[in-house]
Amino acid sequence: MDVEVTGIKKAYARKKVLTDISFSLEAGSCAAVLGSNGSGKSTLLSILAGVRKADGGSFLYRGTDLLREPGQIPKVLGYVPQGDPLMEELDAWDNLRMWYDRGTLKRELSEGALKLLGIDRFLRTPVRRMSGGMKKRLSIGCAVVSRPGILVLDEPSAALDPVCKENIRQFLDVYRREGGIVLMATHDAQDLELCNACYILKDGRLHLWQYDGDFHRLTEAL
Amino acid sequence: MGRTAAYFLAQLKRAARLLPGQLLADIAVCFCAGVFACLLIAQGALAAEGTRYRIGMVGDLSDSYLGFGIAAVQKMDDSRFMIELVSMSEQEAETAWRRGEVYAVMRVPEGLMESIVYGENDKLVTYTAAQGQQGLGTMVMGEITDVASTLVTCSQSAIYAMQRVLADQGRGEEIGRETDKLNLALINLVLSRSGFGEVEVLGYGDGLSLELYYFCGMILLFLLLSGLLNSALFVHGNGAFSCFLKARGVGALRQILGEYLAYLLLVLAGLLVLCLPLGFGLVRGHLGIPEWEGMGAAPFLAFVPVLFPVAAMFASLQFFLFEAGDGIVNGILLQLICGIGMGYLSGLFYPSAFFPEKMRVLGACLPSGAAVRFAQAGALGKIPAAAWAAVFVWLAVFLGLTTLVRWRRMQ
Repeated sequence: MDVEVTGIKKAYARKKVLTDISFSLEAGSCAAVLGSNGSGKSTLLSILAGVRKADGGSFLYRGTDLLREPGQIPKVLGYVPQGDPLMEELDAWDNLRMWYDRGTLKRELSEGALKLLGIDRFLRTPVRRMSGGMKKRLSIGCAVVSRPGILVLDEPSAALDPVCKENIRQFLDVYRREGGIVLMATHDAQDLELCNACYILKDGRLHLWQYDGDFHRLTEAL
Repeated sequence: MGRTAAYFLAQLKRAARLLPGQLLADIAVCFCAGVFACLLIAQGALAAEGTRYRIGMVGDLSDSYLGFGIAAVQKMDDSRFMIELVSMSEQEAETAWRRGEVYAVMRVPEGLMESIVYGENDKLVTYTAAQGQQGLGTMVMGEITDVASTLVTCSQSAIYAMQRVLADQGRGEEIGRETDKLNLALINLVLSRSGFGEVEVLGYGDGLSLELYYFCGMILLFLLLSGLLNSALFVHGNGAFSCFLKARGVGALRQILGEYLAYLLLVLAGLLVLCLPLGFGLVRGHLGIPEWEGMGAAPFLAFVPVLFPVAAMFASLQFFLFEAGDGIVNGILLQLICGIGMGYLSGLFYPSAFFPEKMRVLGACLPSGAAVRFAQAGALGKIPAAAWAAVFVWLAVFLGLTTLVRWRRMQ
């Protein structure tokens, strides 16, 4: 397995949010984490992204424990938080230039991931004038700068129109087929069609859940 | 290029986008402050030329001696530049006092002069001022009344003694002439008292003239409140962005440094906008600062870089308040409350020497107090090491606290 997460714990003051999170993923897989609001999905993803510190556990990626070597995380993992991590006053180009050098950026815009996301079509649009879909695509574009092996997304399709959702799903599908690992928190049934593993986060624990196309069953499971 | 440098450059681009708006706001504030200052200066000049304490004189003013005395005070004595004695009826005096047209009312009881002539001391001049006016002016008037009373009593005693001596020696025909001579000698003593003493003003703060004290104070107040003008940089505060940066390897401290440096440039740009009209005013002689008189723009040009460390410290304070405020509205409110509160306690509005000891100590311990000491010492050309240390300690404390708040928020 390329990714092995074992025994991750996290508590805020006395409240235990994650008690024992364990799962594994292999290259080319896509996993969804489902759960009710406040169940700890964002906490789990932010721990894996190196934003928050876990109280215990390990996160192995091809033999390296990323929780012990957080300096490796930016090289192997791209993280897209729930909000858009963009500077509103700047345009798409300036936001991307923060992370890409000029040559790489031009190359990615002409034939790489950024082209696939369609960012080249709104490169000079200030972020404050962008639609939600454009912002989300740009956020993903910023996250995949180091061509990471793992892409972690926190509700990537929330509040987006169907066309934008489809565009993002197409990108994630290509990313996965090229050997990337996608882990996302979601509430969207269509996102689950992309995934080959679904987990429900409940009472601080992760439970494998078999998605059979009946999303209503999920409400019972939650 | 390091991630922190890239982030700083991006913040710089943001600041550059916001700079025109910020400069316009700075210019508008400077213009309004300039107009306000001109009005104050003009009003001050008028007051210096035309405003005097008006004192209503009520009661028995018919005596020629008293009339002569009042006329002498009003026409010949130095006090005529400060005090205007206006004769009025009891009713007029009451109305004028209620309207604030007279500072106080002095009542001369009937038969005062006869009482003095006969050596009696049963008639008293009463001086009435409002409760709220019991300041320095009332104290001075009390002292003047005492002095006048002593002078009248003593001079009258001298005159009676002289008259008695002359009568005893059988020189009754000389009494009138000698009395006039003694009266004139006494009046001469009173009227020539302008050379009696010398007033020495040591200055405020570190021995600064009032003009330089307020010159420093106003610049510091501008810097202290400049967070309000530069708040646009914090409008789109974004928690997701902080988390994203952390995931990309830019931790809380590096985030804060990148953002702070860009913010500092905005604050310094605002300072330079303020310094341009001030420098112009100094060179053209509109702002008369005694310490820098006749030295052209050189002392001011040397003073401007002195303000940079203070600007950096205030910028870190503002940065912390915006971070701790968690939202633009809270941040602006905190800026306003802390800026005005600190400015008041540290003597930016009134010289801190006017405050009680505890308030003075508190004001000096605040960041604004450190800034005042630093700027005042800088204005005189020599900054002690302790002043440098205080400014940089506060700067480090605020940046440290801001980093802590950011880190805590991400957790």
